[in-house]
Amino acid sequence: MVVSKSTLSLCLVITGALTLPLGLRVLNTFAPAAGLAPSYLPTIEEPRIREPFDEVFAAELRETRPDFAVIGDSMAGTRIDPRHLSHLVSGRGVAALLHPGSSVAYWYLTFKNMIVENPPVRMKAAIFFFRDDQLTLAFQRVTPGTLDRVARDHEPVLDHVLAANALGGFAGVHRAVQSAYHGNRTRDWLLPALTHAPVYVAAPGADPKVFLDSMNNEMFSLETLRKTSVADLPPPTGETLDFNVMVGKSVLPEILRLAEASGMRVAFIRVQRRPSAQGPPPQSDALVKYLRDLRQYLAEHGAYFQDEWGDPEQPLAIYADGDHVARDARIPYTERFYKKNRRLFQ
Amino acid sequence: MIFHSLDFLVFFVVTLVAYWWLPRRGQNLLLLAASYVFYGWVHPWFLTLIFATTFIDYWSARCMTERPEQKKAWLWLSIITNFGMLGFFKYFGFFATNLAAATASLGWHVPVAAFEILLPVGISFYTFQSMSYTIDVYRNHAPARTSFVDMAAFVSFFPHLVAGPIMRATNLLPQFERERQFSAAAARDATVLMVWGFFKKLVIADNVGVIANKVFALESPEFPVLWAGVFAFAIQIYADFSAYTDIARGVAKWFGFDLIQNFEQPYLAASPSEFWRRWNISLSTWFRDYVYIPLGGSRVAAPREAINVMVTFLASGLWHGASWNYVLWGAYHGTLLVLDRVVGRLWTPTDRVRRALRTVQVPAMFVLTCVGWLIFRETDLPQLIHHLQLTPFGVSALGASAGAYLFLLALLYSIPLWVQDLWAELGGPDLSIAIDHPEETVSWRRTAAQAALCGVMVAAMVVLRSQAALDFIYFAF
Repeated sequence: MVVSKSTLSLCLVITGALTLPLGLRVLNTFAPAAGLAPSYLPTIEEPRIREPFDEVFAAELRETRPDFAVIGDSMAGTRIDPRHLSHLVSGRGVAALLHPGSSVAYWYLTFKNMIVENPPVRMKAAIFFFRDDQLTLAFQRVTPGTLDRVARDHEPVLDHVLAANALGGFAGVHRAVQSAYHGNRTRDWLLPALTHAPVYVAAPGADPKVFLDSMNNEMFSLETLRKTSVADLPPPTGETLDFNVMVGKSVLPEILRLAEASGMRVAFIRVQRRPSAQGPPPQSDALVKYLRDLRQYLAEHGAYFQDEWGDPEQPLAIYADGDHVARDARIPYTERFYKKNRRLFQ
Repeated sequence: MIFHSLDFLVFFVVTLVAYWWLPRRGQNLLLLAASYVFYGWVHPWFLTLIFATTFIDYWSARCMTERPEQKKAWLWLSIITNFGMLGFFKYFGFFATNLAAATASLGWHVPVAAFEILLPVGISFYTFQSMSYTIDVYRNHAPARTSFVDMAAFVSFFPHLVAGPIMRATNLLPQFERERQFSAAAARDATVLMVWGFFKKLVIADNVGVIANKVFALESPEFPVLWAGVFAFAIQIYADFSAYTDIARGVAKWFGFDLIQNFEQPYLAASPSEFWRRWNISLSTWFRDYVYIPLGGSRVAAPREAINVMVTFLASGLWHGASWNYVLWGAYHGTLLVLDRVVGRLWTPTDRVRRALRTVQVPAMFVLTCVGWLIFRETDLPQLIHHLQLTPFGVSALGASAGAYLFLLALLYSIPLWVQDLWAELGGPDLSIAIDHPEETVSWRRTAAQAALCGVMVAAMVVLRSQAALDFIYFAF
């Protein structure tokens, strides 16, 4: 069989494209990423440099020993004033374990590592704020590094849950590429070098990390952004929304198990997303069914559930951008929340 | 279906293997079926629109040939149907809202149908491509085709269906009608084009896009921060759109088709007219041939020529989207072009002066282009006016250093783009081509360079691919 020169050159190009990136593995042996221990989520991540667990905050909780915890993202952050809620519950501490842009994997790790497995912290109740189907979306907002501050060195339960979700073709290809080339390890040292390099010219003498932190915190904080009615998360689509399928591949059962084992109450508050001037936000039939199943599941497991959809005391006027509540509506919301859910705090 | 997805990878490989097993007629039928799968992947109802466009244009062209006395009527049928569909799906909401606002300002409150219409992706591209066929048949530049399959495959050809380049019937249809042979040399060059396209999209466009999005999310950015964001957007839109074109050209090449090059170093243009000869060439030439020239082009008195230019650019702006900022963007570029022509008539420099001037004109034109991108990117008109009123005076220390930082970061990511453009501008060998016909003259040195470049680009994608996977910008048009 005669192979033409053109065919040989095609093979050469394809071979070059696929084999040269193997050089990344060689590069990594000289980099700080060499010899790292496996990630706490080995199913989806190669070994990488991680941010340390937030021991300072964990120690603070051990010292203050609050009775209640509010867990969530900016939905809870813009609605609940923890100091005011503490005052309403007669001075018993309410800890705000909030992180903007977080999701259920983060909340689960926060609950487990900051509360349940952080003796002598022993709370009466933990209250989770969420939107729509977030409690069963284990893979939402789980990019490398986002969970570092609340994750221990080993998180087998979360890893197992993510593995159950990561069996799709794309995840398999992604994993195969990463394990062949070790690109994430290179990314760990190359990306900071790349993003820090311009700082030496733009702000001579400044520490790159300090400069970038101050730029992000001062210039790109929530207060400096345009107000938009579009939420940061799109509403769920109907096709794949089936609670009974999703719950088996989520951390929700583990949250409930931990709560039961530690004798703590858990509450789940579904916040109302941005309504229209005419009324509450529309929801699909699939979402209504999902929520019915969620309600039943939580009731069976002794958890508290409150759905704020359609609350007449939450009209469009109290909203700022997206699904966030306006700053001046925070205290009134906190008070209403306390009054409506008083039995949670007994 | 989008190019950077596993779905597409599987679709591409399966279609390709089946394609080269089939004879020509079967190949066209397969391409048609594959293109419909590609286009209807997320919203199958989109297929009814593309089928309607194809059927009406195919039928109109046939009738023009069979009943020449009714030629004009059939052309109008095609134009009205195509513009009707485009108008309804793309501009209905825009016109309804503006009509309501205009009548309200006169004190009449006209009830306007308030429903949201989903814009079928790619409709602006395939409508223009299909219409060019009927216009060319009307002008006797192309014969009416008898094969509906060939015509339908031409309109829906998946590599460039949703974001161009807009191909002409006179160029692409004959490629469907001829026998095609697999060429390993073409496949190799196609691979290089595709890798370069994916690199531009995933490493350059998506990373600088994050910077642009960040800046344009600010309520009141300071002067340096705003213009760093505009610079980032200039890089993003060029890298993103040219990436789509390169991937489309690469995919088409694997199937034995040649699509036109849509960009030729646009940011190295020295004047507005040169910019439009280098940017989105397939759309610019479409408007030139089907709008500007029929209006009289430049063979009319100067004031009429200026009007022709403005009408063409306003239409081009509106083509990009149903929003006033796109109209304003078209008007801005039309004005630049008219001024360029006025200056060109008043003063003709010698070649030596022209060469010397170029070093100043290229950066100046880039700045003017960036002003245009600000108008293009900022859809909120009061915000746009606010941006244009900003001055570099009284900027805070953090604003100055943050602006410099964001600009440098965008510049850093865009270095490969500038290097490639300068390389091409200075006449360096085209590394996306390692073939010289006949096949025996394969340049091994150039092939080795291609292999090395592809390896480095794949490595860069594995390492530096942006975590924020952004859609191709031109999907929105």
